[in-house]
Amino acid sequence: MNPAEVPLTPPTTAAIATADSDVTNRDVEQVERALIDASTRLPVLFFYSSAIVWLLLGTLLAGFTSFKLHAPDLLANWSFLTWGRIRPAHMNVMVYGWGSMAGIGTAIWLMARLCRTTLRHPLLLIGGAAFWNLGVLLGVGGILAGGSTGYEWLEFPPYATIVLFVAYTLVVSWAILMFRFRRGDNIYITQWYLLGAFLWFPWVYGATQIMLFVVPVQGVMQEAVTWWFANNLLFLWFGAIGLGTAYYMIPKVIGRPVYSYHLAAIGFWTYAFFASWTGMQRLVDGPFPAWMITASIAATILTIIPVATVGLNHHMTMRGYFGLLRYSPTLRFTVFGAISYTVFSLLGVFLSLRSVAGYVQFSETSIAYSHLGLYAFFTMIMFGSMYYIVPRLVGREWRYASLIKLHFWSSTYGVGLMILMLFVGGITQGSSMHDPSLAFGESTQSVLPYLRGRSVSGMLLTVAHFVFAFHFGLMLFGLGRTTGVPTFLNPQEEEAVKTHL
Amino acid sequence: MKGIVPLFLGIFGTFAFSWVGLTLIPNYQIGHLDPQVDEEGNDPYPAPKSGMADRGRKIYAANGCVYCHSQQVRADYAASDIERKWGVRRSAPRDYLFDRPVLLGKMRVGPDLSNIGKRAPVEDENAAPPASTSPAPSASPGANPPAPVSSASPAAPPATSPAASPNASASPKAVAANSPAPAPTNATTASVPPAPANPSASPAAVADANVGPSGGPPMYSEAWHHLHLYSPRSLVLESNMPAYHFLYEKRRISGERANDALKLTGPDAPEGEWEIVPTYDAKCLVAFLLSLDQSHDLKEAKLTAAPASSPAPAASPAPAKEEKK
Repeated sequence: MNPAEVPLTPPTTAAIATADSDVTNRDVEQVERALIDASTRLPVLFFYSSAIVWLLLGTLLAGFTSFKLHAPDLLANWSFLTWGRIRPAHMNVMVYGWGSMAGIGTAIWLMARLCRTTLRHPLLLIGGAAFWNLGVLLGVGGILAGGSTGYEWLEFPPYATIVLFVAYTLVVSWAILMFRFRRGDNIYITQWYLLGAFLWFPWVYGATQIMLFVVPVQGVMQEAVTWWFANNLLFLWFGAIGLGTAYYMIPKVIGRPVYSYHLAAIGFWTYAFFASWTGMQRLVDGPFPAWMITASIAATILTIIPVATVGLNHHMTMRGYFGLLRYSPTLRFTVFGAISYTVFSLLGVFLSLRSVAGYVQFSETSIAYSHLGLYAFFTMIMFGSMYYIVPRLVGREWRYASLIKLHFWSSTYGVGLMILMLFVGGITQGSSMHDPSLAFGESTQSVLPYLRGRSVSGMLLTVAHFVFAFHFGLMLFGLGRTTGVPTFLNPQEEEAVKTHL
Repeated sequence: MKGIVPLFLGIFGTFAFSWVGLTLIPNYQIGHLDPQVDEEGNDPYPAPKSGMADRGRKIYAANGCVYCHSQQVRADYAASDIERKWGVRRSAPRDYLFDRPVLLGKMRVGPDLSNIGKRAPVEDENAAPPASTSPAPSASPGANPPAPVSSASPAAPPATSPAASPNASASPKAVAANSPAPAPTNATTASVPPAPANPSASPAAVADANVGPSGGPPMYSEAWHHLHLYSPRSLVLESNMPAYHFLYEKRRISGERANDALKLTGPDAPEGEWEIVPTYDAKCLVAFLLSLDQSHDLKEAKLTAAPASSPAPAASPAPAKEEKK
């Protein structure tokens, strides 16, 4: 099954097609897919549109955050725009507004497709999305108004958290319904990851909220719980959705099965087992029992196993088809994300080593690490999935190949430059900090040029996001192309692609 | 994979393992600590923070100070924190017993603050004029005379001042840290906020007496913190800390200049008939900063650097100079 053959026409037309004389299995499958896509249209588009609005807001907040670091007097006199509030606002908008909503949107669509069932009770999901938006709005407003809780990644004031929980309950109850009505015995790899993500998220979020606010743990345990949460959110929520999506998109676009099912199973279980134990390595040399930190370092090192198996699996699936990266936007974004996952994990291993941590602890490298995970890995895969899914929801193709290219390259260069700047800058900063003969101020001074470079990279990302939002808006308002052929990145070579497929 | 049951069990099992392993077991190990006391059951450490300092912690958290300032000292074999005089020993879980939220931080755009209160200048009565220029009528904990408790006449402190409260809890720590075998002093009597030394002195005269190393108040004193929060670059030229003007109030001087008005110079100084005074939030924040002190000996984290013990009042600005950056 290759993507060019997936029905792009609205379901009604496809249904008429079945009435034709020679109805094949493939036609039935196409109609079925079209019906499933149609059933997910409203909720998925609602999740996507909200996510993109949050993405733009988060981008603006990120710009302020970055500029204020080297221009501290910029808009400093309003309390709600002070650096220490904008930074968590940016973080939380990206994590809960953009990342989670885009992830849920993609996950809904993938689950419906893979369970081969039309979406029942879409109202439940639309309600979930509305509540989720409300929760993020309340939370970000709370942070800017000075209600931050002070726990990193969990700054939302408790009232916003409750709303998010209601929203999540609506989403997850839907997911369980969906899984209950699935057709076919086989559970595809993507479903493992998505099911995992759907069950891990409420657990990690709920347990953390309880341990921090309901039955608060004492002293430094709050910090341990916070980082346990942050890492599990990164790996078992965003990571699982990202990997699951990649496992769907790559084989789908190139039209081949996954190279090895067994490899995928090893990758999934080792991932669940080891990635969930990471987190404490970020607290190295802190006031904690050493065994906690060592356990997390060991788990981080062992994540090389899932990284290697997932990477190998994708690579072998892609082998011989790398040429398609020239044409398919989905494949390009997804493969970039999948490669970033490998880089992200290996960087995580490097940074967790005790000998290294002494130099990079408390420096900008941790920001480089987060952006590598949340942007270069997860967000890029989400962009890829949106380029695949949105045309199937609105029945139109992306209008301009040039805008997709602009989006891809400004995202790629933007995030690449950002990570380079933060990583090199962080090492410079950390080494200056490590050397007691240098005054502390030297370490901050040494990283400032890199932070200016980061601001430049942020401008590239801003361009990318606004271009994407504009393009998405065109699609949303029915201004896409009405052709049966997907938008390829190099249209003059379109014929070559078709013959290749 | 065919069965749904193994999938569910696996998903739950792996995560339960991590949850128990990384949060429940550590919580069993270090989640129920008590303050440390000496053989006689005295000198408990740590002590809960006063109301003002506790409110200051909330302000510290709400304004994101934690994204640039850590509050943890790493051991001398791992890092140069102790050499940088950020502390005299590594931080231990017990130091954070009463902290909520705990603000360990994982970024140092600015220096570590675990002992910023301890690093405030220690002054005795002779140094009273600088103390009296500090914005609040009561002095910082560090401004308490360490030894001569006898001079504490309970009648003297302006007990009406709300700012006196942080001293009550912070003072014993400062005293204890300075003398290895502290006399079991009562927290309330040990607190000796110097009476505003010379209320009749004109502000200008007081300012003259208060020429610190950089022409301002002594480093890390209460007045210094206020100036630094309001106008960081007037004190540390290359700082990239944002100014927190919104924690201060600009008002027209009515009659006499307020006692706690900031003594600003340069571009941030208000025009003639205006003055900048800290809001209650700013006072709480500074009270919190001044309460930060991990210099007390702990049995699980021995002092590795010689404590800057009983610094002579004259010597106190010296470490501050080194730490200027």
